[in-house]
Parts: sequence; C-alpha cells; structure tokens
Amino acid sequence: MTTMIAPGRAQAAAGRTTFVALAGREVRRFAVNPVFLFGVGMTAWLTSTGPGASVTEIDSANPLPAGFLGGFGMMAAFWLTRSMRDSEPVVGVTPTAQPARSAALCTVAVVPLICGVLTLFAFLHFYPLGSPVYGPFSPSARIAILAGQIVVPSLGGPLLGVALGRWARFPGAAFVLFLVIFGWVQLVTILTLSHQDSAPIAVLRLFSPFAFFTLHADAGGVTAWRGSPWFFLGWQLALCAIAVLVALLRGAEGRARSRIIATLSIAVATAVIMLVLAATGGFPHAVTA
Amino acid sequence: MVGPVLRAGAWPAVAGVSGVAVVVGGCGAAFPTAASVLFPVCFALLAAAAAFTLDEPASLVVDVTPTGPVRRTTIRAVALLAPLAAGALVLLAAAMRGLALPWAGAGLALAGNVLLGFAVACVVRTRTGEPGAATAAAVVLVLMAPSLVPHVARWVRTFPAPGAGGPSSDHVWWTVLAVCVVAIAISVGGRGPRWRAHRGRPTGVNCVRNIRAVEGRAGTRYQALTGIRGPHKMKERLR
Repeated sequence: MTTMIAPGRAQAAAGRTTFVALAGREVRRFAVNPVFLFGVGMTAWLTSTGPGASVTEIDSANPLPAGFLGGFGMMAAFWLTRSMRDSEPVVGVTPTAQPARSAALCTVAVVPLICGVLTLFAFLHFYPLGSPVYGPFSPSARIAILAGQIVVPSLGGPLLGVALGRWARFPGAAFVLFLVIFGWVQLVTILTLSHQDSAPIAVLRLFSPFAFFTLHADAGGVTAWRGSPWFFLGWQLALCAIAVLVALLRGAEGRARSRIIATLSIAVATAVIMLVLAATGGFPHAVTA
Repeated sequence: MVGPVLRAGAWPAVAGVSGVAVVVGGCGAAFPTAASVLFPVCFALLAAAAAFTLDEPASLVVDVTPTGPVRRTTIRAVALLAPLAAGALVLLAAAMRGLALPWAGAGLALAGNVLLGFAVACVVRTRTGEPGAATAAAVVLVLMAPSLVPHVARWVRTFPAPGAGGPSSDHVWWTVLAVCVVAIAISVGGRGPRWRAHRGRPTGVNCVRNIRAVEGRAGTRYQALTGIRGPHKMKERLR
C-alpha cells in the first residue's frame, strides 16, 4: 500500500511546486506590465489628490479605481494570457496541463486585489464612513458599497481578462469588452435617473460587474437607489468564480472537465440568485437623505 | 491588384468592431439621454476598427513585393469606408430620432476618430506587420481618457456636447486631422525604419529569406499579390 501511495504524493508535491513557480512567474510578469502599471499610477494619483470640491456623493469618486485597476487589469491579464498562444504547440506538450497554467495565470489577480484594498483604505481616509457622501446607507452597507466598487472589480477584472484570453481569438477583445461594459454601465445608470423606483431597471443596473448606488439630489442631499449592496457583492464574487471556472475549462479533459462544468453550473445558479436578491433587497425605492 | 490587397485585409476585425460600434451607437440613438456618453464610446470603437485596416500577417513577404507602401496603404484605406459608413449610419439614426446634436461637429469627430486610428496604425505599421491590436487599444484608451478621467475632461473634449460650455471638440479634431495627414504622409513615404530598409525592388536574397520566415503560416497572401503559386515556385523563379 505504501509503495502505491508514495508516488502519488510525490507527484502531487511536484505539481504544487510547479504551480507555485508558474504562479510566481506570472505574477512578476503581470506586476511589470506597462498597462497595469499605468492603471496603478493613475489610481494612486487620483486617490492621493483627495476629495475634490465636485465630489458630493461617493459614486462620483469610486468608478476611477474600478476602471483603472479592474479595466486596465483586465486588458493586462488578457495580453498576458495571449502572449503564450504562439508558443502553445511547444508549451502544450509539457507535463503541466493548460488548466494548471490557467490557474497560475488567475493568481495574478492577487496583485490588483492588494492595490484595491490599499485604495479602499485611502478612500476610508478621505471619505470616513460617517461622511454624508454615502447618503442614507447604513455603515455596513457603506462598507459593502466601497468593497463592491473598488476591491472586487480589481479582483474580477484580471480574472475576466484571463478567461477572455483563453477563449477569445480576436486580439482586441479586451478593449472591446472594456468599452461595452463601460457603455452598459453608463446606459443603465442614465436609465435609472429617470426610473428610480423601477424594479426591472434596478435589475438591469445591477446586471453588471460594476454598479452605482447613489446620486446627488438636486434639492440637496444624496439619493440612495434601490438594491442591496451586500447581495451585489455576492453577485460580483459569483462572477469572479465564473470567470475562473471558464478559464480553467479551456483544455480541461475527462473528470476534471466534468467537475468544472458541474461547479460552473452551481456558480451560475448562485450568481442568478444573488442578482435577484440584490435587486429586490435593500431600499424598496429611492431614498434621499 | 486592388482586389487581392483588399481581400488580404483583416475584415473580420474591422467589420466586427464596427458592428459593436453600431450597437453601442444605436443604443445612444435609442436612448437620447445617453447619447452624449455612448457616442464617444461608439466613435472610439470605430477608431479601433480603422486601426485594424493595415494588418498584414504576411508582411515579411508583402513588404518586399514591388507594390510600394503608398499603393498598399492607399488600397487598404478603402477599408476605412466600413467604420465611416457605420458612424454615418449611427448619426443618421440619431437624426431620425430627432436628437439635437451639432451635426457638423459630430461628423468632424467621426472623421477625426477614424483617421486617428488609421494614422497611428500607419506609423506602427513601419515597425510591425500587424499593428491593429496594440494600436486600437492605445487609441481607445487615449480617446476614452476624457470619459475616464474627469481632470482630462476639463481640458479636452472629444465629442461635441449640445449647448455645453468648456472646450470645443472642433479645435481638437481639426488639429488631430492635420497631424494625422502629416503622420500618414511621412510613414507611407518610405521613411519608416522597416520600409526604408526595403525601398526599391526587392533582391532575390531578401525575398527568399522572408519567404522562409513565413513559410507554412501565411500560405496564400503573397500568392494573391504576386501571382506565384507557392514559396517553392517563387524561390525557383528568383533563382
């Protein structure tokens, strides 16, 4: 029995060592990517300049880190993933399977995640939880809004970039998706301005990796739109899980493929439930405070 | 000559990105309140589509054929009609929906966006055979800067907003158009490092070296351009 188990353990240990080495290498490549560094630099600059006089509610300052860490991180991860495509005939015959290499690529999301967490702390310095820019949301909901608009997009953007890089053949897919998401978020936000209490519009607004929750009211104060920030956070995390699983699905075979597909279906179901809860939870209608 | 050069273009990329731009612009026309946000996104996508018009996977062979960069670029410029037509379609849809846009400024912005993508691709084409992806991404990020960074929007505007104060987009686009024309003229005039190296009729040695480099991955592009059936036939003819 011992002689049968020992080779398996040794193989697993070797696999872990290979994975750690691969992940470390990919993280280094990602951390020095000029696109990502530009995003980090812009986030640092825009965050360090502090609150401007024009910031009357939190949503006028939050999209910048999401765009620069998440959006630019997505493009950097996409190019990082595609950069190995030409050498696939050579790399493909190595003992490390494509899903393992995809998993190593997914670990690069740790870098923007750390940047996102640091940005969150900077935001809490400039906009403390007691600040009126958050509107009528409770302190816990305010934390959820910040996490959902700064930290999770920083994590999800690169994961989406890896998944896209694994499946999309078009070399410009990343910036096209970036613009489509940007346009979608703007469109549904503008629609929400005129239909603040509509449930279908709330679903459309939250059906996105990023969503706004507040609006500066013309009469003064901040209007909080309907929707639960905590469940929206759950929806975003489910999207992150879907992105990882979709990336891993490429090149997976046999039992591993079946397991990934089964987990993917669970993640999709979770995402749908979270979206419905996010749209139906929170304030039942727009509230101004 | 025109047919084969046009056939070799990256039409799926140009048409695909233009198609996405039409969808985004169509949403802007359908929801007039979102037009001032979605039209710049649509035009940035059209600039990206224009950047793919010069992609040439078989550039190692094509660049040493007797057809010079001026003629090739001129022929490929015909493909710009796709993003321009897509933009015109979006503006027409907006007009039919009754949007009150400054149409001259919007048309200028459309032409400027498309020409900017093409001009940057021309410049990068002197370095690489497939400038599309990198150029398109760079152009999109530059064009979206006013939308992404509020600090930039205070100084530069890339789309004419109706009745809004602040800087005019027309000055920006007239300047961009002038710079683009100069950049295109310089880059296709054979002054770029790569085309300068291949100026004049190619030597047999260069042709064979380049054919060997692309052998097996760009099988038919130069066949359309040169009328020679395959790399081995071309080598034989050159010998």
